[in-house]
Amino acid sequence: MSAVVDRPATPVLRRSRARWAWGLGASVVVLWSLAGAGLFSGEVLNPAGARQLSRFAAGALAPDLSGDFRQVLLRGALVTVAYAALGTALAVLLGAVGAVALARTTWGRRRGGWLVARGVVAVPRGLHEVVWGLLLLNVLGLDPWVGVLAIGIPYGAVTAKVFADLLDEVPRGAHDALLAAGAGRGAAALYGLLPPAAGGLLAYSAYRLECAVRSAVVLGLIGAGGLGYELSLSFTSLRWEQVWSCVYALTLLCVAAVVAGRAVRRRLADPPAAAGDRPRRDLVLTGAGLTTAALVVWSWWYLAVTPAALLAERTRQQLSYLLAEALPPELSGSLLVSLGAAAVDTVQMSVIAVAVATAGAVLLAPVAARPARRARPVPWAAGVVVRLGLLLLRAVPPPVWALVLLFVLRPGILPGALALGVYTLGVLGRLTAEALEELEPRPAQALTALGARPAATWLYGVAPRAVGPVLAYALYRWEVAIRDTVMVGLLGAGGLGALLATSLQVFDWPAVTTTLVVLVLLTLAVDLVSDRARDVVR
Amino acid sequence: MVGAGERVGLVGPSGAGKSTLLGLANGSVAPTAGSVEVLGHDLAALPPGRARRLRARVGTVHQHLELVGPLRVVHNVNAGRLGTWPAWRSAWSLLRPQGVPEAAAALAEVGLETRLHERTERLSGGQQQRVAVARVLVQRPELVLADEPASALDPVLTDRTMALLTGVAAERGGALVASLHDPALALRHCSRVVGLVDGRVALDAPAGSLSVADLTAFYAGEA
Amino acid sequence: MRRPSAVRSGGSAAPTRHLGRRGFLSAAATAAAAAGLAACSGRPSPVSPAAEPSGSSSAGGGAGGSLTIGAIPDQDPEVLQRLYGVLAGSMAEATGLEVTYRPVTDYGAAVSLFRTGDLDMVWFGGLTGVQARRQTPGARVIAQRDIDEDFRSVFVVNAATGLAPSEDLTELAGLRFTYGSQTSTSGFLMPAYFLAEQGVDPRGFPGDPGFSGSHDATLQLVASGTYEAGVLNEQVCLARTEAGEVDPAVQLHSRTPAYHDYHWLLGPAAVERLGEDLPDRMTDYLLGLSADDPDDAQVLELFGAGSFVAAEPGDHDQIEQIGEQLGVLS
Repeated sequence: MSAVVDRPATPVLRRSRARWAWGLGASVVVLWSLAGAGLFSGEVLNPAGARQLSRFAAGALAPDLSGDFRQVLLRGALVTVAYAALGTALAVLLGAVGAVALARTTWGRRRGGWLVARGVVAVPRGLHEVVWGLLLLNVLGLDPWVGVLAIGIPYGAVTAKVFADLLDEVPRGAHDALLAAGAGRGAAALYGLLPPAAGGLLAYSAYRLECAVRSAVVLGLIGAGGLGYELSLSFTSLRWEQVWSCVYALTLLCVAAVVAGRAVRRRLADPPAAAGDRPRRDLVLTGAGLTTAALVVWSWWYLAVTPAALLAERTRQQLSYLLAEALPPELSGSLLVSLGAAAVDTVQMSVIAVAVATAGAVLLAPVAARPARRARPVPWAAGVVVRLGLLLLRAVPPPVWALVLLFVLRPGILPGALALGVYTLGVLGRLTAEALEELEPRPAQALTALGARPAATWLYGVAPRAVGPVLAYALYRWEVAIRDTVMVGLLGAGGLGALLATSLQVFDWPAVTTTLVVLVLLTLAVDLVSDRARDVVR
Repeated sequence: MVGAGERVGLVGPSGAGKSTLLGLANGSVAPTAGSVEVLGHDLAALPPGRARRLRARVGTVHQHLELVGPLRVVHNVNAGRLGTWPAWRSAWSLLRPQGVPEAAAALAEVGLETRLHERTERLSGGQQQRVAVARVLVQRPELVLADEPASALDPVLTDRTMALLTGVAAERGGALVASLHDPALALRHCSRVVGLVDGRVALDAPAGSLSVADLTAFYAGEA
Repeated sequence: MRRPSAVRSGGSAAPTRHLGRRGFLSAAATAAAAAGLAACSGRPSPVSPAAEPSGSSSAGGGAGGSLTIGAIPDQDPEVLQRLYGVLAGSMAEATGLEVTYRPVTDYGAAVSLFRTGDLDMVWFGGLTGVQARRQTPGARVIAQRDIDEDFRSVFVVNAATGLAPSEDLTELAGLRFTYGSQTSTSGFLMPAYFLAEQGVDPRGFPGDPGFSGSHDATLQLVASGTYEAGVLNEQVCLARTEAGEVDPAVQLHSRTPAYHDYHWLLGPAAVERLGEDLPDRMTDYLLGLSADDPDDAQVLELFGAGSFVAAEPGDHDQIEQIGEQLGVLS
């Protein structure tokens, strides 16, 4: 202590160079994307389209709820739920198996094998559900497996990666102690890794279910049935009142999925105290487990899925037909040039989408987040309204947003980019609000306790801790947005999605193959960049 | 009832209600029944603005510190002044740290002046505890509440920290209420010792009238 | 914070959860067993061909084998695809087959499903029909509508362009222009051909031409002024005008010459399964539909037709040539 007095005065503030570099880089990329969208070079707005936009909006207030259409919606909703449930079940199954192959724990020091495993999973992950759906449709025809696999395969790959990361992040103490005590590797993982990771694994599975509901709808757009199919039919002739009915039905399904998932997550994070010395079954979790199982069984029955369809002779024929058509990929100069240009468009669209979504999420999330304590009526109502609004933003499929925005914007990549931005805002707003809710409230309460103003409490107690998770979410969604550009390609008149749609429509399979390869590579590249960036913001 | 200039040591077994009592005093815990009077006011009955200004006069070293890990040390220390700084200054300070001399001086008092610009979460547990003390030092409150303020410190630092806390309380003619684990520490630094058991006051005596053995027995539940 | 979605829980382990998991497992086992049973039940799927055969509920259904039909989503697909029972029922009654209507939303999907044999008989557009025939050797043209012998597209412009109706397509060359769907005969292929005939590069519009995705979207996008001009199926344009749904900002510019468009195709697998006379039976059924019969009239109205007439494979040779020129047939 005595040395204290002699030490030199205040140290100089040094800012983190990496963060500044990444921040500067990000701003440049956003500006470049906006320039690419023509924001600084000419008109982008088309005010005359307000009438068409208002027609779309008016449909929201007057949805088609006639008896016939309610029947249509009910049937569609059942199919969508069945697809989502089976797709998620498959994804969790694949994820559990894949996680073993992807976890560092499995590979130990053998980094090569680990890298290969990660690379293999990147392919199914790099393709959007819609692309999977279209490919599977060509092999399996109208079989219900199309929808189940189109959700299950890409979700399974993502789930495997997340599960593996969750397992790898568990503190190793217990696991290593078991190994040291002579337990086998499997037993050590089962007792030392699985229990602490179980909460995260289940929570993530529940979260995937809501995503799957939305994916099932998007798959409907390609003809896999369900709500999305009905939505797409009505959308083709712009029957907005019917489109909105579908959107509302989808919103209800999402609300159900979110509420159920939240209940399970809450329960896992904060289990009720066990009464007495006999451990009791948690009724909520057991009920959730049984309901899930029943839902999966019902879905299997309702869709009449049969494993035989996968092994049928026709499936094999169609698969070899498709492979023969699609290989070798086309490598002509002109295609590669247009792919390069489209890749640039795709990146710009995704950057704008994520920038818009992040800005919106940061503004809305504080209102949307549920406060730790009971709120007064006004903020509570505002929170409910914003949360519902976010839900609607993500319930309207991106292609619909793209057309609606195209009414009031000039053609180019901007309508598509904003359509994705609006949709992503729906997702990111929710994730950000949840990140805020999950923050330990006590540091902020400590600031309140010493008399800080609400704004100061937010700036000092909440923002610094939220910025890392929120940026990480945004970067994660960036990778997703790259894939999602496939959905708005044609209307936004740009990007790899447009090229893909064109090649698919004219059955130019070799070009489809090349485009898909470029898409996967681009997703991988963005994944790498965003991974590095996430390390920096952490 | 704690009077000005008193140095109260709160003792009692875990779960006795020491932290709850401190939380009631700084307003982070709302009373379910009855009322709490702090510096002459019932915190729960005051309109928000006045309650905030009253809170600014109460400084707390929390048991779990409640620092903001991703912020630099200087901001966590400056957080002690958020109750008196205008909003713009609080915001601007995050970009260009304000009140650096005061923060540096407070950190020097706890021996951390070289860590001014470090990210707080990179500090050790004991260092973070000293940052929490520095936060109270710059706040210069009239009532200092401390919940195990020296649990992660070595004996020398413990005594110095307690001296700092009693000093800052005395400066404004206020009081110190500290929950303490260590009977000897309580007797050394406090003028009065209050013992809690199951949320009730089971012991209230001037420190001079007690011995370490008395307090050890109290902890053992033989009060 | 690398797996954002994963960080939300991670609570501490608790004995209750342990049991919850066991509940999970036992439930999963039940699920697996029940799923196995369900798989054997042979229940038709709501999304695959064997579902809801309309014929089975109508007279004469069932005995003669089953046929799956579909239609590309074009004009008012939501009406056709949701009232398919009318068509399937009528067809089943007349042919004695069990007829199932399978809805599709995507042009390309209809072509692929025809190739895979999921759809036996499909109502195709001109270009999609050619695509389907190329991918499905042995497919037969069954019939077309009376209006398909003399089908046309219309070019429309936004009133702000100030263009008066004219035969001169070169006036459109400098405008922001949108087609409908990329594989639509009336929304893209034939208009592009007629534009090229008059010396307008069909892909050379300023800022690239748009593809609105549907005829109705084209109308709305021209109405909003996002695109200053566009082209669509005349039948849709007339129907919307009659219903008073066309925005006054949309003005007719010109009408294309006539060409062949939509037609019914029958796949080879169905012929193999149901007999060589199947094409004739289907042609007879379609040609026999009469606007005087109230049930038939309902079917004809769904297709916006006065009657169905015979069609020849050669009717679509022109479309095939143009498709190759424009690079939309590979």
